[in-house]
Amino acid sequence: MPAIVVALVVAVLFYLGYRYYSAYLAKNVYALDPAFVTPAHSMRDGVDFVPTNKHVLFGHHFTSVAGAAPIVGPAIAVFWGWGPALAWVVLGTIFAAGVHDFGALAVSVRHRAKSIGTLAREVINRRARTLFLLIIFFLLTLVNAVFAVVIGNLFVANPEAVLPILLEIPLAIGIGQYVYRTRSAALLPSIVGVILLYVSILLGQLVPISLAGIAAEDGFFTERNIWVILLFAYTFVASRIPVWVLLQPRDYINSHQLFIALGVIGLGIIVGFDRIVAPAFNDTPEGSPHWFPFLFITIACGAISGFHSLVSSGTTSKQLDKETDARYVGYVGAVGEGSLALASILACTAGIVATTADWKAAYPDFATASDGAVGNFVNGVAQFANNIGVPVAIGTIFAAIVVISFAATTMDTGVRLQRYIVQEIAEIAGARTIARNVTLATGIAVIVPLVMALLPGGGERGYTFGVLWQLFGTTNQLTAGLALAVVAVWVTKNRRNPVAVLVPLVFLLVMTSWALIVNLGNFIGEGDWVLAPLDAIIFVLAVWLIFEAAVALRKAWLGARTGAPAPEPERES
Amino acid sequence: MSLRTRLASAWRRAEAAHDQLFVARWRQGLRREVRRQEDTLRALVMLESLGVDNPVAYETLDLVPYLVADLHAWHRRMGQESFGDPGVCC
Repeated sequence: MPAIVVALVVAVLFYLGYRYYSAYLAKNVYALDPAFVTPAHSMRDGVDFVPTNKHVLFGHHFTSVAGAAPIVGPAIAVFWGWGPALAWVVLGTIFAAGVHDFGALAVSVRHRAKSIGTLAREVINRRARTLFLLIIFFLLTLVNAVFAVVIGNLFVANPEAVLPILLEIPLAIGIGQYVYRTRSAALLPSIVGVILLYVSILLGQLVPISLAGIAAEDGFFTERNIWVILLFAYTFVASRIPVWVLLQPRDYINSHQLFIALGVIGLGIIVGFDRIVAPAFNDTPEGSPHWFPFLFITIACGAISGFHSLVSSGTTSKQLDKETDARYVGYVGAVGEGSLALASILACTAGIVATTADWKAAYPDFATASDGAVGNFVNGVAQFANNIGVPVAIGTIFAAIVVISFAATTMDTGVRLQRYIVQEIAEIAGARTIARNVTLATGIAVIVPLVMALLPGGGERGYTFGVLWQLFGTTNQLTAGLALAVVAVWVTKNRRNPVAVLVPLVFLLVMTSWALIVNLGNFIGEGDWVLAPLDAIIFVLAVWLIFEAAVALRKAWLGARTGAPAPEPERES
Repeated sequence: MSLRTRLASAWRRAEAAHDQLFVARWRQGLRREVRRQEDTLRALVMLESLGVDNPVAYETLDLVPYLVADLHAWHRRMGQESFGDPGVCC
């Protein structure tokens, strides 16, 4: 089947989801009120609380939520065939991610734009706040570990991409300083900066940077492991530098790259008319993990991602001009992420190779499929770029740069956030030495994922993307579960029908718990005494979340039935 | 309208759109950083209003008038609806 047909069908489904389902949510579940005075107006301060045009805010929201995660998950999940992966991305986006992202935004706007962690404490109870911190701790640990390996692998496979990535840092700082010191428009310097970045691909081809000369063939100091260690050393330093010096300028360049990459993929699909060569349902070899329930944790971002609730409630809700804009910004933001996942599916099933036999050679078993997933995406995008005249060699480095840039920025942000989380957990636990010592907290934020990335077995195929990635997926889904629980309790308290929120909540919690139990059995069976306890801890968090959500929902339900006044103290109009 | 004028006008519109979409967020980050530094200074200067002894209160007294203007926004940002010291701002 031509990729363009699939893309068009999915686009129509996404449009119908937005047109009808989000309208239902806006009217009957979240009860958006155009007259409601949003925090952007009532708490306007010109910095965080700024009423913003909904299209502009959508751009801010989308560039904040989009990253490497919706690329990696689908690139692995097509191992089960493009059918299950595509179905989960489409249904998940329409009925789970849209509800989640939109709901987190709506509930935050009604609570003075508070973040989902604070809302968990206020809407559920104080324990939920601790639960939230613990889930985020594991989520950040795993995402930082996996993304370090993603970058390490791409550096090893594409030494030509190293120099452009290194040059991106002074380039970003230069543009950042320009924006900081001048008041003139940044369009031209940004165009020049992005062009310079892509011109540096040619330099990268002339001067490929490889650590093969100093690395061992096998053992601990492999080339990939050295890159991983260097990356964490970099993030240790980068996370201590003020955000405006490095992180935000890099993010600024990345937001341009996101639209450029989507444009290249879209054009490549239209012009090339590539056919999907992967089977709709793949005959997986004996011993492979079954798609049910593992598909639902392998694709987290792209179908539903708890990380979005942090963005929705952390920054976007402070800038919403009208409450009714939440529908467009929140729901279409989820659709944008789903589109990125769709691009990844198409790159790995249509762009990557020309025949089904070649595809099966690229996805022979789950370990190979998961370990090669990012490389497959890069090759697929290179093919799409080739359709519009970009040589494959340059297209490959271009795609690698995009993925590395996204993953590196996520690591920068992840380590910085992890530092705050470590300090906050230490404060709750009474460990003041850690809570007050930024260097120590940053050290913990770096060392823990570094150890995860370099664990014995880390070099084996399938470990990072087959196991760690799935554990990351479970924590991401638990974060989404917590956000959905907050939204469901709020909806129930306000005597509206919570079924649209409860269905994805229950589905996510069941699938995540199921996958955790199956994995726990596997780890114990294999005698893996590092991953088994980690899996068990995440499972305990899942059970804890189910308990807290059930208790809070029952209380809200009984309160609504017994006629207790519907609480809406934050209403400001 | 000449082609050149129309192109210039289109370029200015593109600059404005780019500024709103990409640069505004970045400038917001800069403003946030400035505010964070000012908040730190304000907290130090206003220590006594927060019930903490300030050994350099006499030396920093001159700064108070410059920092009082934004005091209300500051204490609300810090999570307090009203300022502890009555009669100061709200």
